[in-house]
Amino acid sequence: MMGARPLLRLDAVSHFFGSRLIFKGVTCALEPGSIMLVAGPNGAGKSTLLKIMAGLLTPQAGRVERTVPDRAMAFMGHQTFIYPSLSALANLEFWDALYGRRLDQAGIMALLDRVGLKAFALEAAGTFSRGMAQRLSLARALLVDPLLLFLDEPATGLDKASLTLLHGELEKARIRGAGIVWISHDLERDLPRADTLLRLGGRAMTYFGPASGLDVEGS
Amino acid sequence: MIGHAMAVAHKDLRLAFAHGQGPVQAILLGLLLVFMFSLSAQPGERFTPQQGVAIFWLCSAFGVVLIFSLLFRFEEENDTATALLLSPLPIQGLWLGKTMAGFVLLALCQVFFFPAALVFLGLDPGGSLGSMLVMVVSVDLGLCILGGLVGAMGHGQGAKDALLTIIVFPLQIPLLLGGIRIGVGLMQGEDLAGLGDWFGLVLAFDAVFAGAALFLFPHVFRGE
Repeated sequence: MMGARPLLRLDAVSHFFGSRLIFKGVTCALEPGSIMLVAGPNGAGKSTLLKIMAGLLTPQAGRVERTVPDRAMAFMGHQTFIYPSLSALANLEFWDALYGRRLDQAGIMALLDRVGLKAFALEAAGTFSRGMAQRLSLARALLVDPLLLFLDEPATGLDKASLTLLHGELEKARIRGAGIVWISHDLERDLPRADTLLRLGGRAMTYFGPASGLDVEGS
Repeated sequence: MIGHAMAVAHKDLRLAFAHGQGPVQAILLGLLLVFMFSLSAQPGERFTPQQGVAIFWLCSAFGVVLIFSLLFRFEEENDTATALLLSPLPIQGLWLGKTMAGFVLLALCQVFFFPAALVFLGLDPGGSLGSMLVMVVSVDLGLCILGGLVGAMGHGQGAKDALLTIIVFPLQIPLLLGGIRIGVGLMQGEDLAGLGDWFGLVLAFDAVFAGAALFLFPHVFRGE
């Protein structure tokens, strides 16, 4: 879907925390049906950049343009965004109500089935393992059929089966035309799935361009 | 916004009663206060209506702090606050939802405080129960509107309870004063119309706090 209007565009974005420069001059665009991998060493500002892209933070300089409404955006971060005292089903019912989609209970159960949690639908989410909680977080993100999906190291703590599930769902979202921004520390594993790579380092964007043809060492 | 607020309130009430915790802490503290105050009287001695109503509102004031501290704690575990900010929920809808949930929980606490005050403090409710209910609802509304706003100020801070206490109590004074004066008047047989000045004061503060909350809550919750 290259050539369509970008879902997200950043133009010369810079950000500071206090007087400390985090990064400067980030310019990039995310096309529909594509995956942008964000990489860089610890402290390079990847999570900050993702929050700026999602509208959680306002950059000190530059422009962020999103063509997707809030109700079609989803975010998976380090935190799972789930209420541990509520069941998996109740968690999804709440987020469904907030996003105004009004899936019925059967629809939500089908979604839980899709992420392998149907059998645990009525169990408190606080009793879930990290992998199960992350699957529930994925279900929460998929609830809105996102057109723009932000992922902050979503694979952390996932076993092989959960990882396969995550990759499968991301591929389905991409085929549906969603744009995905994905922070990853495992370029060897994730780079082949990406269309573009944005690399941060030394308080600036050091690369933004096609991911294909890059070797992991050189990326 | 109302639909979103209802969803937040429903979720908060479910969370509050999950594992049977609910507002138990607030109820127990209030009952303890009533009981402790009752010990200060000589055997057979009755509290004056002013003392009794003041103790009732004191219990409610402490209850508000505990209830809103609980309600905003729900958004800290697993950083659901961030997810709420990313959702299409109008941020004032979050305040309204928290206020509605807090109102229900405070009313539940008062279901315990009221009979306890009658029994342990030897109060005679007198007056019209309907008028008493209108007064309690009006004051509770203001207390919860304020709790919903100030609760967000302590959001994410370790010293949340201390911050809540320091900021909430001084702001609550006009409402509590109104609640005490109207309550005493009703117990002494006056009707609401005769207590119009105090009732007007309570409603005015409800409106002022609601206006301030609608304007300030988005900034306060985002920590700007």
